[in-house]
Amino acid sequence: MLYFITTNISTMEPTRHKRKQVLTEGPISPAFIAEAIAKHSSQTGIGAHAIFLGQVRSDVIDGKSVQAITYSAYPEMAEDAFHEIREKAFARFSLTCMHIYHSLGTVKSGEISLFVFVSSVHRADAFAACKEIVDAIKAEVPVWGKELLEDGTHVWKKNTP
Amino acid sequence: MKIQVLLFGPLAEVAGTEQLELTQVPDTDVLRQLLLKNYPALADCAFQVAVNRKLALLVQPLQDGDEVALLAPFSGG
Repeated sequence: MLYFITTNISTMEPTRHKRKQVLTEGPISPAFIAEAIAKHSSQTGIGAHAIFLGQVRSDVIDGKSVQAITYSAYPEMAEDAFHEIREKAFARFSLTCMHIYHSLGTVKSGEISLFVFVSSVHRADAFAACKEIVDAIKAEVPVWGKELLEDGTHVWKKNTP
Repeated sequence: MKIQVLLFGPLAEVAGTEQLELTQVPDTDVLRQLLLKNYPALADCAFQVAVNRKLALLVQPLQDGDEVALLAPFSGG
C-alpha cells in the first residue's frame, strides 16, 4: 500500500526533471554542439532552438593577453545550482527541452566553455529562457575561472553583471 | 564537534589550502573570525559561506559533521 502511494506521488510531479550532469572536462567541441543539434531533428514539434555559446576571450590585462581559462568548481553545489536553474526555467517557460554544458579544467582562448541549448514550439520562450539561464549561471553557480596570461602568471576572472 | 571547511578558487590560493578541519566552531560568524585570524590575507577577499551546500545568508549555527565552504564571487561561463 505504501509503495503504491509513493510511486503515485512521484509520478504526479510533472515539474521535476531528470538530473543531468552539466560539468564536463575540457572545452566543448563544435562537433559535440553540431551533434546535439542533429539529435533534435526527430522532435518535429520543436519550432525554435536558442543556443548560447560562451567563448573564452583573449582579454589583455596589464599588457598581457589571456591564453586560456582554467575552471574549477564546488562540483556538488554547482550541479545542485544547475539543476535548480533548469527546474526554474522549465517552470517559467514553455520549453520542449534544455541542455546545459559547462567546462571544467583548461579551455584555450577561442574555445567554447559554456553551451546552453533550449528548444520550444515558438521562438519567444526559447529566446527568453536562454538569456535567463545564462544570466543565472553567471550569478548562481559556484564555478571560478583562472585566466592564464602569456607570461605564465594568472588573474582570477571577474564576471560582468 | 568537528567541521570540514572547503576552500575553492581564489580563496584556496590566498589561504594556501583547499581543506581544513576545525573543532569547536559554534557558528558561521565565529568561523569567519577564526579564519581571518589564521589567514589574515582572507580579509581582502569577498566571500560567502555555504553550509552543507546551501548559502548561509545570516549567521548560522554549526553542527558536528557539517561541510562548510568558502565561496568567492562566482566567475563561471
